[in-house]
Amino acid sequence: MQGFALYPFDPPGDIAALRADLRAWLASNQPQDDVVSRANCWASFDPDFSRALGAAGYIGMTLPARYGGRDRHPLERYVVIEELLAAGAPVGAHWIADRQTGPLILRYGSEEQRQRYLPGIAKGELYACIGLSEPSAGSDLAAVRTSARETAEGWRVNGQKIWTTGAHLSHVMLTLVRTEEGSERNAGLSQLLIDLDTAGITIRPIIDMAGNHDFNEVFFDDVLVPHGALVGERGQGWKQVTAELGLERSGPERYLSSHALLVALIDATGPDPDPALATLIGELTAEMWTLRQLSMSTAAKLAAGEDPMVEASVVKELGNAFEQDMPRRVQAIVTSGWDDENDLAKLLRALLIASPSFSLRGGTREVIRGIIARGLGLR
Amino acid sequence: MSAARDMLCDTARAVFAEAVTAGIAPVEEAGFGLLLVPEEENGFGGDWGDVNAVLQIAGVVVPDLPVAELIAGEAYQPAATVSLMAGAMGQALTLSIDHVNTRQQFGRPLGKFQAVQQSLAVMACEVRAVEAAAAALALRLDAVGLDASAADFEIAAAKLRANRAVGVVTSIAHQVHGAIGFTEEYHLHRVTVPLMRWRGAHGNDAFWAARLGRQVAALGGHGLWEAMTARGA
Ligand SMILES: Cc1cc2nc3c(=O)[nH]c(=O)nc-3n(C[C@H](O)[C@H](O)[C@H](O)COP(=O)(O)OP(=O)(O)OC[C@H]3O[C@@H](n4cnc5c(N)ncnc54)[C@H](O)[C@@H]3O)c2cc1C
Repeated sequence: MQGFALYPFDPPGDIAALRADLRAWLASNQPQDDVVSRANCWASFDPDFSRALGAAGYIGMTLPARYGGRDRHPLERYVVIEELLAAGAPVGAHWIADRQTGPLILRYGSEEQRQRYLPGIAKGELYACIGLSEPSAGSDLAAVRTSARETAEGWRVNGQKIWTTGAHLSHVMLTLVRTEEGSERNAGLSQLLIDLDTAGITIRPIIDMAGNHDFNEVFFDDVLVPHGALVGERGQGWKQVTAELGLERSGPERYLSSHALLVALIDATGPDPDPALATLIGELTAEMWTLRQLSMSTAAKLAAGEDPMVEASVVKELGNAFEQDMPRRVQAIVTSGWDDENDLAKLLRALLIASPSFSLRGGTREVIRGIIARGLGLR
Repeated sequence: MSAARDMLCDTARAVFAEAVTAGIAPVEEAGFGLLLVPEEENGFGGDWGDVNAVLQIAGVVVPDLPVAELIAGEAYQPAATVSLMAGAMGQALTLSIDHVNTRQQFGRPLGKFQAVQQSLAVMACEVRAVEAAAAALALRLDAVGLDASAADFEIAAAKLRANRAVGVVTSIAHQVHGAIGFTEEYHLHRVTVPLMRWRGAHGNDAFWAARLGRQVAALGGHGLWEAMTARGA
C-alpha cells in the first residue's frame, strides 16, 4: 500500500452537461416527500421514481445496449450516483440491482441470465437483494450453511438467510449457498440467482430500531430452483462474492448518504455563522471533500480493471466514521428538541438512530480494519 | 508518476540526504529554488504535483530545513505544509509497520496481535486521507495555474484535514513503538515532532475551520455540492 497516489478520475464525455441534465431532470422528477427520506436515501424505496429514472437512462448505465443498458463508462455512472445521493433522491428500490447484481450477472452470468434479468434492472423495474448473512454466519461469512443439492430437476435449496435488506420488495436474491456436501469454510460455495416468488420461500419482516421494515429473514424449505440459476462457476462462489463486495464498499454512498443533514445544518445556520457553527461546518466540509477524493480515486481504479480492495476499505472506514460522527457533532452544538418537527431536528433524530448500522452493514468496522491491516502486511 | 517526476524525486532524495548534515546550501545549489520557475525563464518548469512529491520527501528527510520556503512564496506555505505533513505521516506509518513486524513479545511479532493491527489500520486511513488531500490540492493548484486564491477552498480543506490527522497518527505511531520510540536515538521523533509543529504552522485547525465554514455558509446548503463539483471532476 506504499507510494499512494490519486488515480486520475477522468470520465469520457461532457461531465458538466451530464450533471446539468440530471439536476434539471431531478428538479422536475424528484418527489418532494418527507425530508427524512432524503437521509440514508439509498434505503428509501420508491418504485415509481426508480422506473422514471430507468426510463431516463440513469440505471444500468454501464450495461451493454443489447441488454437494455446505455454503454456508458463506469465513471459516468459514478457521477450520476453521486448527484442522486447529494440530492437525497429515493434510489433504494433499484440500488442493489444497479450497483452489484447487474454488473455481477454481466460478468459471471449465462447469456440466458443476462437476457432474462438485465433489461428489467436497467428499466428500474427489477429489484435484487443480497443473500449472504445467516444466523450463524455474520462476520464469519465462510460459515454459511444454506445448502443446494443438484438433482435431475434442478437445485434443492434448504436453509435460512437473515438481515436481507429489501427481500420483501425484491424480485430476486443473489444467494450464497453450499453446493458441495461436506465442504467447509470458503470451499464448495456457489451463487444462485433465486426468483423470490418460487414455492417454498418464506420472507418474514424484521423491524429495525427505527421502527422500519427494511430487512428480513428468508427461509428456504426444499425450494426447487432451475439448473440455470447457478451464476458463474460451481464452487467459485467465494471468489465471486469477494469481487462483489469490492463494488460495494467504496461508492459515494459511504460518505454522501447523510448529506441532507449537512445541507440542513448549513441552511439553518445562514450566511453569517457563529464561530462554533462555522468551525463545525468547516470540519465536516474538509472531511467530506477528502472522502470524495478518495472515493473518486478508488472508482477510477476499479474502472481501470484493478482491484483496490484496501483503498475501498479505507473509504468505507473513513466514510462510516464521518457519517456517524456528523449527527453526534451536530447534536452537540445545535439547540434542538428531540421531538421538534423542523427539517434539521427530524434529520438529526433519524440519522442518530440509523447511524449505528453504518459500520455493520457491508462489513463491520473490525472486519474492514482487518482487511486494511492485511494490506499493510500485518496478517 | 511520470519519468521526469521520478528523476526529480531521485535527485531530491540524494540532495536532501546531503543536506541532513550540510544544511540548506546543497538544496539551493541543486536549483530547487527554480522548481516552479518556467523553463523560458531558465527554471525547471515544474508544477505543484512536482512540488508535492519533492516536499513529501523533504518532510521525511529534512523537516527542519526551509525547503518549502525556498520553492514557493508565502501564499503557498499552507499548501506546502500539507505536502510536508503527508510525507512525514507516510514515514511514521512505514516505521510503525516495520517495527511491529520485527519486535516480538509473547513469542510473536507485535503485528500479529489484533489490537495492534486495528490501531495501525486506523492510522493508515488517516495517512491515506492526508495523501489524498495533498494530491487533490495539487491537482487544483495546477488546474488554476498556481493561483492560490483560486484554490482557497482546497487549501483550507486540505490543511484542516492534515491538521486533524496529526493527533491520531502521532499517538498511534508512538503507542505501537513503546519506549524505544520515545528515545532521542530512535528516529520516530524526527517525523512526529515536526508533525506536531506543522499542525500549528500556517493556520491551525480553528483558523482553517472557521474560514472554510464561513465560506461554505455563504454558499448555502445546496451551494456546497454545486461548488464542490464545479471545482473539480
Ligand atoms: C442495516 C443492515 C442491513 C444489512 N443488510 C444485509 C443484506 O442485505 N444482506 C446480508 O446478507 N446481510 C446484511 N446485513 C448483515 C451484515 O452483513 C452483518 O450484520 C455483518 O456482516 C455482521 O454480522 P453480525 O451482525 O452477525 O455480527 P457478528 O459477526 O456477530 O459481530 C458482532 C461484533 O463482533 C465483531 N467481531 C466478529 N468477529 C470478530 C473478529 N474475528 N475479530 C474482531 N471482532 C469481531 C464484529 O466486528 C462486530 O462488531 C445487514 C446488516 C445491517 C445492520
